[in-house]
Amino acid sequence: MADERAGLLPGTLEMLVLRTLLLEPMHGWGLAHRIQLLSRDVFNVTQGSLYPALVRMRRRGWVRTSWRATEKNRMARYYEITAAGRRRLEEECASWRRASLAVNDVIGPKWAVEDL
Amino acid sequence: MSALSDLGERLRALLMRRREERELAAELRFHVESETELLRGSGMSEDEARRRSLIALGGVERVKEEVREARGTGPLEDGVGDFAYALRTLRRSAGFTTVAVLTLAVGIGGTTAVFSAVDAVLLQPLPYQEPGRLVRLYQPDSSNLDERAYVTPVHFLAYRSRTESFEAMAAMRTYSESGADVGSGEGARRIRLLPVSADYFDVVRVHPELGRGFQRQDERGDGTGDPAYTGAATVVLSHRLWRELLAGDRSAIGRSLSMNGRPFTIAGVMPQGYVDPVAGEVDAWVPLDLGPGLLPRNATNHHLTVIARLRPAASLAQAQAELDVLGAALDREYPAAVGRHARLFPLQGEVVGSSRLALELMLGAVGLVLVLVCVNVANLLLVRGSARAREFAVRTALGADRARLVRQMLVESVTLALAGGVAGIAVARLAMAAIVALGAGRIPRLASLTLDVRLLAFSLTVATLAGLLSGLAPALRAARTQPGDVLREEGGATTGGGRRGRLRESLAVAQLALAFVLLVGAGLLLASFQRLHEVQLGFRTDGVWTFELNLPSARYDTSARARFYEDFARRVETLPGVRAAGGISRLPATGMYHLWGTVARTGPLAAEEGRYNEANHRIVSGDYFRAVGIPLLEGRLFDARDDAGVPDRVLVSRALALRLFPGVSAVGQRVAGGRRESEIVGVVGDIAVDNEGRASPHVYHSHRQWAGERLWTLTQVVATTGSAGTPLPQLRRVLADLDPGLVAYRPMPLVDAVGSGAAVRLFTLRMVVTFAAVALALAALGLFGVLSYGVKLRSREFGIRMALGAERGAISRMVLRQGFAMAAVGIGIGFMAALALSKLMTSLLFEVSPLDPRVLLGAAGFLAVVAAVAAYLPARRATAADPRSTLQAQ
Repeated sequence: MADERAGLLPGTLEMLVLRTLLLEPMHGWGLAHRIQLLSRDVFNVTQGSLYPALVRMRRRGWVRTSWRATEKNRMARYYEITAAGRRRLEEECASWRRASLAVNDVIGPKWAVEDL
Repeated sequence: MSALSDLGERLRALLMRRREERELAAELRFHVESETELLRGSGMSEDEARRRSLIALGGVERVKEEVREARGTGPLEDGVGDFAYALRTLRRSAGFTTVAVLTLAVGIGGTTAVFSAVDAVLLQPLPYQEPGRLVRLYQPDSSNLDERAYVTPVHFLAYRSRTESFEAMAAMRTYSESGADVGSGEGARRIRLLPVSADYFDVVRVHPELGRGFQRQDERGDGTGDPAYTGAATVVLSHRLWRELLAGDRSAIGRSLSMNGRPFTIAGVMPQGYVDPVAGEVDAWVPLDLGPGLLPRNATNHHLTVIARLRPAASLAQAQAELDVLGAALDREYPAAVGRHARLFPLQGEVVGSSRLALELMLGAVGLVLVLVCVNVANLLLVRGSARAREFAVRTALGADRARLVRQMLVESVTLALAGGVAGIAVARLAMAAIVALGAGRIPRLASLTLDVRLLAFSLTVATLAGLLSGLAPALRAARTQPGDVLREEGGATTGGGRRGRLRESLAVAQLALAFVLLVGAGLLLASFQRLHEVQLGFRTDGVWTFELNLPSARYDTSARARFYEDFARRVETLPGVRAAGGISRLPATGMYHLWGTVARTGPLAAEEGRYNEANHRIVSGDYFRAVGIPLLEGRLFDARDDAGVPDRVLVSRALALRLFPGVSAVGQRVAGGRRESEIVGVVGDIAVDNEGRASPHVYHSHRQWAGERLWTLTQVVATTGSAGTPLPQLRRVLADLDPGLVAYRPMPLVDAVGSGAAVRLFTLRMVVTFAAVALALAALGLFGVLSYGVKLRSREFGIRMALGAERGAISRMVLRQGFAMAAVGIGIGFMAALALSKLMTSLLFEVSPLDPRVLLGAAGFLAVVAAVAAYLPARRATAADPRSTLQAQ
């Protein structure tokens, strides 16, 4: 489990999922592709690791699920963000922005190793 | 996201687990199909697209595992899931489950029942304060230090006053049943008395709850005592007697109680439930008359039971060393008693005595059965594990966690073990009822046997351990297996041999060896029991009834006693159905008693004055010899001529006649013993002194001549023609006619009176035979299982062989040969084990060598037959199948 998360900071996968679900309810496979797309392929997320994360998030009440027909008329489990999920996303995003600003301040503008 | 809703979700997940699993599978199927479709759109082949999409997902089984973990019901759910899974798989193979559960039930049930018997009899400490410091003293002959010889009053007084290692030491007279008649008329009853020295209550550390015990000055009788060995006329009552006789009146202390027509002062009442460590239930305690201890001639008069309590600082070895030093000094003071030094033994072991060995043997047998059960279940699981190798290989290949597979296997075997444990408790209850019924009244403390919580815990622990142990090997084996190997083997391999086969075979061989050991043990006990029944006791027991009859000295003087026993016998002989009646001071075959030095005064050995021969001296009345069928070999029996007015006359047994008067007739010769010199008037047949048939020289005195010597309570023997049933009602009527104050005490058939030592042996025998039968069944089952599984694995090989023209007979011979080879190795190993264990058995056997060839051969033959049957069925099946169908099936 550790290796496929190696490309992600802890907790980021959940943030990405919630952010993606803000757009519309989605099934697992769709989520996997959308995250890949939105993150401009930076994060190499093994598709399988999505499902345990979804289960954890549903347990915490951030998403709810329902079985619906897809456009191709096949049954799939759709995930939808809840109010608690939105709150959580806001908190996460705020703290993420704070943290990333702080980190950016420390490392400063773009530099090369030779400059130091 | 409260803790409550989290918990709710967990519970929901737990309850909805099945649906969850279905939905997860559907979700992942949808994922893989969508991905495959996408990839195919880019021109990939169906197979390749599917492969890539599975890789992208990371394996279906693996994702499932991770999702299950993420559901967060964690170990609980895993446990429940594994448990449910185990139940499902066990239900699916009902045959396997039934055999395994039954095997475990028998093993665990037997173990629990026997553990509880051992616990009740052996492990529970004596119910006295600091029981570890209680010891018993014996005074064995130096030639046989393990002899449990009683102590003389002279030596007892020396031990008590001249040692430092003991906090307290007490002598008691358990040597024979001593009793007293209390009350009179209708209310007359006989009670059990225990004469004890003053420090008795300090040794056991139980003192009367009312009143007091005895003082040292109570240890001197005034010579009018009744029984003769009681000191001062004072008595301590048991709680029960106090309640029954005096209605629990607390003011009874100091009052007078009439025993044997003589007034005794009630000194105290013992606490409720107090039981003497040696004599058991006692109704009343009286002071022991230690006056005889002051007379040097009593230095060879062994009749006291001595118990003592060690000082906290003194070890058993120190106390023994002190007694050894004292013994050397006493040798110089009493030359007649040289070499009879005191030996100490912990009291606990002495109380349990001979039952201990029997119980330990049983524990050993149970241990063997339990090992056998584990081996058998392991074998079953192993066979099953091999059969499921494909299932595991496939699941491993699909990414299932190996640790989880092992856990599942373990959960399965523990589930099995617990089921076996529950069934085993039921078996244990039955077995314990049987054990109590078998040994009740003969094995000490067995009656108090109950199933308790600790036993339940023990049983379940045994069950779980058995499950874990027998499940571990197959589980690890399954986990270690390379899936590819198994799958390849499925396709190509044709012979079911290899490493796994060898492990199975060695387990089956181990089973056979264990069964052989148990069979030999059972066979040996059976043989020795048979011998025991063939023992020549030297007298007849059929139709003979016995009871004790005490004549209180207050109402019967010497001549009245002498007359009464004779009159009573004559009156009884007039009853219909009675052949003969008489009395004796100690029943035959109930052990050594009144073992007195006896020497020849005339004849070839008369000159050897110092030669010390011990003989059992007995006092007889009425027609004793005819009543128990002891034959007269020479001379005459006692009759009315042999009364107190003439010089002493004795009858001797053949063994004594041969020993003291070799080569000449004993009739008319003179012997000295019991402080009298007597003329031999007749020689009678030898009788056994114990129930193992050991003959011992006897000297018989006539009660008419000895009534004045002391107060004899003669045990009456009444021989009936046997058809009329018990003569007791008639006997009681005769007794009431003669004297309504007399009691027929402890009436029983003679066979019961002499047979109680055999009870322990019979008890052990039945247990061991049962265990052997169980072991045999388990071993047969194990062999059968291994062989038939081997046949199943090799059915393809057999098919090919037959297709290539091999005869069916040759193939079944091959299977049979395999079975016999295993049986031979098992019996060989079992034989070695039986040799190694033979020493343990020796003391339980009677006139049978632990290496009795009949028993060893019998056990081997029996096991071979069972092995043949267990091998025959699979052999037949091996050839029954049509080769074509076997080959096509694979």
